[in-house]
Amino acid sequence: MKVNPFRLRGGLAPLLIATVLLALFPLIGVPQNWLLYLFLFFIYLALANMWNWLAGYCGLISLCQPAFIGIGGYTLALMTWVGLPIWQGLIAGAIIAALFAVIISIPVFRLSGIYFAVGTLIVPELLRLFFLNWRPVGGLLYGKGAGYAVKGATTIPATDIYWLTLIICIGSVLMMRFILRSNLGLGLAAIRDNASSAASSGINVFKLKFYSFVGSAAITGLAGAAFYIQQGFIEPTSAFNVRWTMVLMLATVIGGVRLEEGPAVGAIIVVFLHFLLARYGGVSLLIQGVILVFIMLIAPQGIMGSVRRALSHRTPHLRRQPARTRG
Amino acid sequence: METPVLSVAGVTKHFGGLTAVKNFSFDVQPGEAIGLMGPNGAGKTTLVNIIYGIYKPDSGKIRFRGSNIGGLSPHRICHLGIARTYQIPQPFATLTALQNIIVAAIYGRGLSRPDAEKTAHEILEQLDLSPKKNTVTLDMDEVALKRLELARVLATRPSLLLIDEVAAGLTEEELPRILEILRNIRQAGVTILLIEHVMKVMTEAVDRIIVMDRGEKIAEGNPGDVMKDRKVIEAYLGEPE
Amino acid sequence: MGILLGGLYSLVALGLSLVFGVMKLINVAHGDLVLMSTYLAFSMMTSFGLDPILSLVIGMPVMFVIGFAIQRYLLNRAFKISMEAPLIIAFGISIILQNFYQIVWTPLSRGLTPSYAMLSFSIGGLNVPLVYGLDFAVSLIVMLALREFMKRTYVGQAINAASQDRGAAQLMGINANRVYAFAFAIAMVLAAIAGVFLGLTFPFTPQSGVSFLIIAFGVVVLGGLGSIAGTFIGGLVMGLAQTLGGYFIGTGAQMFVAYLIVFIVLGVRPQGIFGR
Repeated sequence: MKVNPFRLRGGLAPLLIATVLLALFPLIGVPQNWLLYLFLFFIYLALANMWNWLAGYCGLISLCQPAFIGIGGYTLALMTWVGLPIWQGLIAGAIIAALFAVIISIPVFRLSGIYFAVGTLIVPELLRLFFLNWRPVGGLLYGKGAGYAVKGATTIPATDIYWLTLIICIGSVLMMRFILRSNLGLGLAAIRDNASSAASSGINVFKLKFYSFVGSAAITGLAGAAFYIQQGFIEPTSAFNVRWTMVLMLATVIGGVRLEEGPAVGAIIVVFLHFLLARYGGVSLLIQGVILVFIMLIAPQGIMGSVRRALSHRTPHLRRQPARTRG
Repeated sequence: METPVLSVAGVTKHFGGLTAVKNFSFDVQPGEAIGLMGPNGAGKTTLVNIIYGIYKPDSGKIRFRGSNIGGLSPHRICHLGIARTYQIPQPFATLTALQNIIVAAIYGRGLSRPDAEKTAHEILEQLDLSPKKNTVTLDMDEVALKRLELARVLATRPSLLLIDEVAAGLTEEELPRILEILRNIRQAGVTILLIEHVMKVMTEAVDRIIVMDRGEKIAEGNPGDVMKDRKVIEAYLGEPE
Repeated sequence: MGILLGGLYSLVALGLSLVFGVMKLINVAHGDLVLMSTYLAFSMMTSFGLDPILSLVIGMPVMFVIGFAIQRYLLNRAFKISMEAPLIIAFGISIILQNFYQIVWTPLSRGLTPSYAMLSFSIGGLNVPLVYGLDFAVSLIVMLALREFMKRTYVGQAINAASQDRGAAQLMGINANRVYAFAFAIAMVLAAIAGVFLGLTFPFTPQSGVSFLIIAFGVVVLGGLGSIAGTFIGGLVMGLAQTLGGYFIGTGAQMFVAYLIVFIVLGVRPQGIFGR
C-alpha cells in the first residue's frame, strides 16, 4: 500500500506541552524581543491556518485576507473610540469580518468560483480606498489616511497581549484539528478530491465552502484585531496591504499546503525571514516573492510534505487529478 | 397505472451545432429495471447528465415521482433519492474506501457519523469490498473502483439508481457476481436505469431496453425483441469499427 | 470621453481575456505585466529620448519573449503541480514585479509625456485630449488585427481550438504547452500596447498594476469572458460608468466607483451584461 500524503495524524500531547511552555515564557524572564517574535509567530500562524483552511482544504485561493485583518483592526479601533472596552472590540472585529465575508461571498463565489482569486484580490483595495475617504469619528486629525489610535491599548501590559495571541493561535490550531476530523472536514476532502462526485453524493459544495470562508474570515478578523492592540494604531494603507497575503501564503506554502502542521513550520520560517530581511527594506517583499514562486515550483508540497515523504521511506505516488473546478 | 418514478418528456439538448439528445421521452415505473443502450456517442451519458442536473435541457421536462426536477442542482437531486455512477469511476482519491462511503452516507442520507460508519461497513460487505476498506482509493484497481462507485451511491440510499456502465472490463467469471449484486439492489426496491455495453448483463438484468442512436430513441421493448430489431442492428453495424 | 477611455480599457482587458480563454487561468499578475511595458517605455523615453509609441517596436518583442518565458518556465510547470499552483505563482510574480518597479523606478508617480501628450482636439464643442483619441483608434485597430490573426494564422487557430476544447485540440495534434506559451506571449504583446497607452493617458506608480488588473477584470466581467467583441463593449461600459460615476460622485471616488461596479455586476449577473 502506498502512503497517502494527506492523512491526518498526530496526537494532542506535543501541542499541550508546547502551549504550557509558551504560556510560561513571560514568567520565566524570556527576553522581550523573543516575546515579540513569538507574538508575530502566533499571529502569522493563526492567519496562515485560516488561509490553509481555504486554499488547502477548500481549493479557494483567497487573496482578501487583508480585508478581514483590516476590518478586525478597524472595528476594534473604532469601538475604543466610542468608549467600548477592548475585549468587546476584539469580538466585534471577528463578527464584523464574518459579516463582511457573508456579503462579499455573493459576488466572489459566482461562476463556480472562476473569479474567486481575482474577485477577492479587489476587496482589500476597495476597502483601502473606502477607509482613505472615511472618517466616522474624531476630528480633522484622525480618520481617512491618518488612521486611528486604538484607545487604551497602551495601558495593556505586553504580556497580556502575548497570552491573548497565544490563546488565539492555539485556538486556531485546535479549530483546524476539530474541523478536519469533523463531517465538515470529510466533506471538504471529498470536494477537493472530486467536486462533481461530491455533489452527486449529496454534498452542497457551495454551502461547505461558504461556511469555511465565513469561519476563516472571523478568526482572521480576530487575529487582525489582536495584532492592532499590540500596534496601538491603524491606518488604511498598511491594514489593507497585500503584504499580509504574502506573509500567510508564504508561511503556508513553505510549510506545506493542505497539511495540518504546514502553517506552523512555515510561520516559524516566515518570522525568521521577517527579521532577517528587515534591513533590506523594499527588497524584502521581492525576495519573499521569489521564494514563494521557487518553492511552489521546486517543492510544492512544502517542508512538511517533503519530511512526510522522507519518513515514509516510500515514494508516494500522487496521481494528479484532472482539473475540475478552479477557484 | 402508478406514477412513473422517472418520466423524461421531449428532452432536447444541443451543443453548438450538434444535437446530442433529440426529443427524447420515456417513463420508468417503480421497481423496474431499464436498460439504455446505443453506439458510442449516441448521447446516453449526456441524457444521464441532463437527468442529474449537470446540463440544462434546451427543451423538455424531467419528472421524478411526478414533480419537475429540471434545473435542480446535483446535491438536491441526490437528496430526493436519485443516485448515479460515473462511467469512469470518480472516487475521492485521497480518502479510504470506507471514508468514501461514509461521506456519501453522511451527506447523501443525513446519517450521524456512527450510523454512517455502520452503514458503510454493511455496504462494503455486500459488494465484497471489505478487505479493501482501509485502502486509499488512488491505490485501487479499476474493477474495485467500479464497485466502490456503486457502493458510494448506494450509501445515499437512492430509490432510483442511474448506472453508467458497471460491467465494462470485467472478465467472464466476474459477470455472475455483478449480476447478483444488481439483483440484490433491485430486491431492495431500487428502480434501476442501466447504461451498459455488455449484452449478457443487459439481457439478464433488465426488464426493458431503450435503444438510442444519435440522440434519438430508435427502439424500445423487452430485451429479446429489441435485439432482433432491424434499426438496432443497423445502428450497431453502421457504426465504424 | 468615457467611450474613448473605454477603448483603452478593453485593450488592457484583451490579454487577460485571452489567457483566461485558453488556460482558464485568471492571471492576477496581468496588471503588473502591463505596467512593465509602461516602465520600459518610460525608461527608453528618459534615457534615449525615444517616443513612447515608437518604443513599442522594441517593447513588443521584449514583452513577447518575457511572456513566452513566464508561460514556458513557470506556468506550464505549475499547471502540472496542482490547480492552485498557477494562481499562487501568478500572485508571486505580481509581488516580485511591484517591488522590482519600486526599487528601480522609486515609488514616485510618473507619466509618459511626449510633446503631443498635451495636445487636444474638439468634437462638437467638447475639448478632447489627443491621447484619448489615439487610445480609441489604436484599440480598435488592435482588436481588428487580433480578430484577423485568430482567424487566419495557424497559431491563432490553434489558440482558438485550445480555448474551446482542450481535449479536442490535443487530438488534432496541437501541442498544448506550446499553444499556451504562444497565447501568453501574444497576451503580453497586447499588454505592451496597452501599457504604453495607459502611460500616455494616466500617471502611474509601481502600485498601478493592481488598478490596471481591476480595470481589466471589470471589463471582462462586464463584457462576458472570451470574446473580442464582448471585451470591447465591456470596455466602453466600464469607461462610461467610471466617467459618469466620477462626474456625479466626485473624481476622488472614481476608482472606488469602478471597483464597486465590478462587484455589483459580479453579484447580479456573473456571466456579464452581454454574456449568454
